[in-house]
Amino acid sequence: MLDHKLLEVHNLKKYYPVTGGLFSQHLGDVRAVDDVSFDIKEGEALGLVGESGCGKSTLGRTILRLEEPTEGQIIYRKTDITRLNQRELRGLRQEMQMIFQDPQSFLDPRMTVGQSIGEALLIHGVRDDKEREQRVIEILERVGLEGQQGLRYPHEFSSGQRQRIGIGRALILNPKLIIADEPVSALDVSIQAQILNLMLDLREEFGLTYLFIAHDLSVIKYVSQRVAVMYLGKIVELASRDEIFQNTRHPYTEALLSAIPGITQKKKTRIILPGSVPSPINPPAGCRFHTRCHRVLPLCHQEEPNLRDIGNEHLVACHLYRG
Amino acid sequence: MTNWLASINYITGKVGGIRKLILILMAALLGVTILLDVLVVEKIFDPLGYLYIALGTLAVLYGIYPLYTSRRLVGYYWERASQNRLAVAGLAFILFLILLALIGPFFTTDPTATNFEEKNIPPLGFTIEESVYHPETQQSISKTITGSGKHPLGTDNKGRDLLAMIVSGARISLQVGLLATGIAVALGTLIGVTSAYLGGKIDNILMRFTDIMMTFPFFLLLVFIVFIFGPNLAFIVLVIGLTGWTGTARLVRSETLSLRTREFIMAAKALGASDSRIILAHLVPNVISLIIVIATLSIPGVILAEAGLSFIGLGDPSVTSWGMVLRAGQQNLDTAWWVAVAPGVMLFLTVLAFNFMGDGLRDAFDPRSAV
Repeated sequence: MLDHKLLEVHNLKKYYPVTGGLFSQHLGDVRAVDDVSFDIKEGEALGLVGESGCGKSTLGRTILRLEEPTEGQIIYRKTDITRLNQRELRGLRQEMQMIFQDPQSFLDPRMTVGQSIGEALLIHGVRDDKEREQRVIEILERVGLEGQQGLRYPHEFSSGQRQRIGIGRALILNPKLIIADEPVSALDVSIQAQILNLMLDLREEFGLTYLFIAHDLSVIKYVSQRVAVMYLGKIVELASRDEIFQNTRHPYTEALLSAIPGITQKKKTRIILPGSVPSPINPPAGCRFHTRCHRVLPLCHQEEPNLRDIGNEHLVACHLYRG
Repeated sequence: MTNWLASINYITGKVGGIRKLILILMAALLGVTILLDVLVVEKIFDPLGYLYIALGTLAVLYGIYPLYTSRRLVGYYWERASQNRLAVAGLAFILFLILLALIGPFFTTDPTATNFEEKNIPPLGFTIEESVYHPETQQSISKTITGSGKHPLGTDNKGRDLLAMIVSGARISLQVGLLATGIAVALGTLIGVTSAYLGGKIDNILMRFTDIMMTFPFFLLLVFIVFIFGPNLAFIVLVIGLTGWTGTARLVRSETLSLRTREFIMAAKALGASDSRIILAHLVPNVISLIIVIATLSIPGVILAEAGLSFIGLGDPSVTSWGMVLRAGQQNLDTAWWVAVAPGVMLFLTVLAFNFMGDGLRDAFDPRSAV
């Protein structure tokens, strides 16, 4: 059961064309997601971590086909969903849902919260008003709100409450896969823990599979079983949580981990990355990380490393670990 | 019985709600009546009647019903708008005008009935000296005419009752203003939202079309249409409505552009909502405050356009509008000043009332003005 692959992503690319000039010439591409492959097993929580702008949100949206993929394949339960049209996708939307980042903006301000949640049911054929109301009340109570609060408008709730509503809306269709796009990054730390615990409880109760996108490594460590690290549109390291945190291989992951503020370690050597993330329009030749890497080899300037298994299902894209 | 209910439920489910079912039924009903009208050559309604029914249905289903379901939100906006005294005064005047147009005609005489025995009577409380040519003595003698309660606003040079004409004019002005604005705003909203939401080529085509429509001299078109088809109020309303949507389309488009990148639109897509659902259920309700303001502020322009058309003699001669009375009055300004003044004052107050109300609504809807 656990080895059953729910979602497979093969060589997925999402390029945004950059146009300019008098006749809108094609000047280049923003390579937001560039040749990414991974899979998620049923019941698993995969954490996806990376800096702002590395393409992790775009990856999440492209998997749900909210953005059209440029190239590659997305396979959900052995069905290729990359080329399905919107009508064919609608049935699948019940099974794949998204939790959004910004609690201020993912609810329609002109709809009551109950209407927002009920809309999911309405779209998927639950026309009976009474039944919808009943199910909305149930889900609101399940995520820790009162059924009565469904009559209120979004601006009458706090950020944490709104995030609970977002989770409720995603769950009301009984999905299998949830893509959570930075669900707690806009919340207070005290609320973050509540929301994360709620998500973990619901995962057990509903048998959910998560793709958990975040930039906060401690959040990732708390919720996920496997972790993928993204840099500039590519996955640079992918392994189980313990492997990533204890047996770190990629220099970028090392740098990220060294930046977690700790209270137990007495003295930690911080790896400071020089410069900033290069432009995804014109990524560096060779390894994309070589401009900022503290363990750079001459080879890194010329050849781009592939993601390879170095044993123990630990995948790294780095020339340091060539077999 | 249950079978019957179940099948209604089934159909409602298929078309997406009882509201759409009523809309489709009304559209079908109107279509059949129009066909009967055309084929059986029997005048069931005049063209304006059809416009009324169509826009009335739309207004109830998509205007009044949503207002009723979101009473709390409406109450909140009313509380804010009511702090603006000018806006409330404007609203009061508009309500008075609507009342005047609706029930006024039952209390006044026929505005087209002439009576040369009682011509040029001044309004109640005014007295004028008029020199009357006496055919027997072949001399002009001075005669005093005093306004009476029979004609509270006086009469014109053909003896028509001015009050009746003003009441009739209120009806015409409101008809033209509301119907034409209704058409223009509905068209503009749909075009603006669709253009912004779909983007790309469709956006380009729709916006270039809007540009072309904007450069079109609409008053000239009106004159042209009147020249070809004759001065019919329904045509005038249609032309103003079908050419007046461009400004609305642009404003709505720019508002929608900022809305469509908001996460709730993406969330609706993630739930599997269709494009038409996103446009009608999410985008339009979120620009509705802008639309209400645009509509309120564009009604006076339309009223003035119709008055202007009547003033230059291109209005529908079968109805008495303010522009027409104004035209009749300005020719006799030296003998009967009140004939021109009465419709002038009414036009002035109406335009002012709509503008005040529009400004008040704009402030009420603008979250930046919240205290």
